[in-house]
Amino acid sequence: MPPDPNLPPSDRASAGMTRRSFLRGAAALSVGAAAIAAGLAPLRQLGKFTSVNEFLQKYYKELTPEEMKVVLARIEDEVQRQYGIRPHVRDYKPMNGVEFVYALNLTRCVGCRKCVHACVAENNQSRNPEIQYIRVLQMPNDGTFDMDKGDTNYAPKSVPQPGFFYMPVQCHHCKNPPCVKVCPVKATWQEPDGITVVDYNWCIGCRYCEAACPYFARRFNFTAPSIPTELINPNMSYLGNRPRYKGVMEKCHFCIQRTRVGRYPACVEVCPTGSRKFGNILDPNSEVSYILKNKRVLILKEELGTLPRFFYYFDI
Amino acid sequence: MKNYLRFLRRCLGVSLVGDWRYYAWIGALGALSVIGLNAYAKQFVAGLITTGMSDQVSWGVYIANFTFLVGIAAAAVMLVIPAYIYKNEDLHDLVIFGELLAVAAIVMCLAFVTVDLGRPDRFWHLIPGIGVFHFPGSMLSWDVLVLNGYLLLNVYICGYLLYCRYQNRKPAKVLYLPVVFTAIVWAISIHTVTAFLYVGLGGRPFWNSSIVGPRFLASAFTAGPAFVILALQVIRRATAYPASEDGPPEGGAAGSRRVVQRTAHVADLDRLVQCLPELAGVSIEERRVFLASAVVMVVPTGGILLHQGETDNDAFFVLQGRIVVKRREGAQVRITRDVGPGEQFGEVSALTGAPRAATASAEEPSEVLCVPAQALRRLMRHPRVNEIVTWRMTERLMIADHSLLILRGIVQVAMIINVFLLANEIFTEFYNTNREAISWRYLVLGLHGFHALVPWFWTSVALNLSAMVLFMLPLTRNLKWLNLACVMCIFGIWIEKGMGLVIPGFIPTPIGEMVEYVPSRNETLICIGIWAFGLLCFTILLRMAVPILQGRLSRWNERTAPARPSSP
Repeated sequence: MPPDPNLPPSDRASAGMTRRSFLRGAAALSVGAAAIAAGLAPLRQLGKFTSVNEFLQKYYKELTPEEMKVVLARIEDEVQRQYGIRPHVRDYKPMNGVEFVYALNLTRCVGCRKCVHACVAENNQSRNPEIQYIRVLQMPNDGTFDMDKGDTNYAPKSVPQPGFFYMPVQCHHCKNPPCVKVCPVKATWQEPDGITVVDYNWCIGCRYCEAACPYFARRFNFTAPSIPTELINPNMSYLGNRPRYKGVMEKCHFCIQRTRVGRYPACVEVCPTGSRKFGNILDPNSEVSYILKNKRVLILKEELGTLPRFFYYFDI
Repeated sequence: MKNYLRFLRRCLGVSLVGDWRYYAWIGALGALSVIGLNAYAKQFVAGLITTGMSDQVSWGVYIANFTFLVGIAAAAVMLVIPAYIYKNEDLHDLVIFGELLAVAAIVMCLAFVTVDLGRPDRFWHLIPGIGVFHFPGSMLSWDVLVLNGYLLLNVYICGYLLYCRYQNRKPAKVLYLPVVFTAIVWAISIHTVTAFLYVGLGGRPFWNSSIVGPRFLASAFTAGPAFVILALQVIRRATAYPASEDGPPEGGAAGSRRVVQRTAHVADLDRLVQCLPELAGVSIEERRVFLASAVVMVVPTGGILLHQGETDNDAFFVLQGRIVVKRREGAQVRITRDVGPGEQFGEVSALTGAPRAATASAEEPSEVLCVPAQALRRLMRHPRVNEIVTWRMTERLMIADHSLLILRGIVQVAMIINVFLLANEIFTEFYNTNREAISWRYLVLGLHGFHALVPWFWTSVALNLSAMVLFMLPLTRNLKWLNLACVMCIFGIWIEKGMGLVIPGFIPTPIGEMVEYVPSRNETLICIGIWAFGLLCFTILLRMAVPILQGRLSRWNERTAPARPSSP
């Protein structure tokens, strides 16, 4: 077909040479495909990212006990492969008639951060990059109670420093938890015993819960966690301290693997000043019941209506 | 169905053809997209640690761009509302461009959300029915629904209207008007829901303010139409070609390519009825009157039927052949429509008395029926004829300065409201020495020696205020100034809703820690890649839509010209 002089130039150009433009198009397509392949090259370092079974794993609350057994065995294999140690992973269930409550004595806390270290060790938290559930604020005794004046990076030779008090902050296990409300896939929820947990196999890593939490209690695995084999705690729970994956949220779970078999959380056990109290609020004779009835209590950000199960209290 | 697939195949074919400018633009965007893809592959392997985000500032430029682009997508309605509710004919021609922009913007939104996910492989957990969808509790699940719904609505509207134009038939109102009105409400909802993502967080006083939703809408209706103004001018320029390349000069053509007139016969009218069945309802009596005033013009290839700028009041119906209507703007020429048997041209001037907006010439030996304005008006008393003629009046590629000025009016008002709302918020937060305002203090003045966002904030304020002043001045009736004002307000709003809205919400943290945020290089490359990919999608969609709107890619040339697009 001869070029038509009345067509605009580009039309004239394309009208008569469909074969050449086809070849040109094919060349362009192959260049494009090669470029995309080159662009995706970093994926070769991906290694074993996710297994088919892990990818297809059902939501925690939909797993039958048999399926849970298979999942737990698979997780034990995964941990062994990655960390060279055979763990014992269990799915600890809540006990009937138990609602956990935490009370922290602000008069006594000296800011030694032993709780932070015990928590990291007990809960297989990533050592590189470092993830910690407990933040301790050093706050000035200057007639204010302003967290903006708090310092979380204090590093004096010894504690407590005169003129300061110390306020550890961790997950408050709210009765009205904003993090649970915002999660688009229900990967985080409140257990019947009051513990707010995360299903590390269901979380999609959108970090909406992290934006919602008023206590800065949630942590994200910005990369694959790393823990030296000799530091692994092999007593693991599905909803608690088993090693986490890259790209998922985690948080304080009141040491589910300890507290659901009647032990104290690691932070309570390690505290040298006895500032940390933990127990069953449904038991009128428990230590925490006594504290809430007899001590002056402070609820952090009470105005937000989150109804924490974590209370600060004072001796004097 | 088979026809629709053929339509899609031809659209795809046309998107692969263009001049060197088109290939260079597509190639550059493609290269940037691949660079972004490469950066994302790195992030996928190493995790989000490759970004500047942290536990303290857990959302960054991905979510910032997402928020901005939801606004751009929502603003497509600012073309639809005047066109469909206030029956503004000028904007009617442009609605499809707004819808296509919305499609491209939503594609970018979805890409930005995906790259922000820590576990994109688990996206299926979000699919209602397959995963566990926390609806209606989580605002994010609402966002998933409204964004994907909006994408579907717009894809449907564009796909249907363009297909009808391709098939040269009038779209059935029941099949698209309800969807258009749904999309209007939906557009408001996508941006309100996105605002609620932030507003719903009681622990973040910076966002937990009921004015954020209205501010989102005001800023969207500022940046969105501004974006459309720029896009339309790019389309206008890209669809034109230099007049010097447009064949022989118009004057000289008349001598060699004579238009021959003859009286119109009943047979001519029968031919017209065959390709314009709507005429069948016209009575014999009326047909006779109509014929008496009509003449048939026989035109050879290149013969000119009417000249741009002339004032006469004839309208034309094509009986046979093809007529191309070209509009000359300065040294540029653009094809506004390409009509075949049964279609009309010249009717706008005939009905309004305005000077001819374009020149019509025959692309192949043709015969047209020429009727005076009164005859056309009489014919249009028949509702079916009226409907089809009125509909086809809008089927042209016409981007008038007047339409851009209507959009300018929208931007003007929206910007004033936007600045006013911002002023309200600033007053509330600063007049009281409220501790809740601490993130505002960080953003505006800096806090405890941290002030990474202060320059961003003031740049945004300066851009928005200058743009507002420019939009108020008659100066911006001049397109150069209008473009400058549009660019300023797009950047101003982009900062306002990105670095100025998402980031300061996290600083300081709820327990008072100061950690600042700077996007990493890899993160920036991913953002550039997604923007490039979005613009690539938009360009390709336009490349398909423009020849369809011109009538140059349509069913009539399915066989005769497999790949004959107009200039890009």
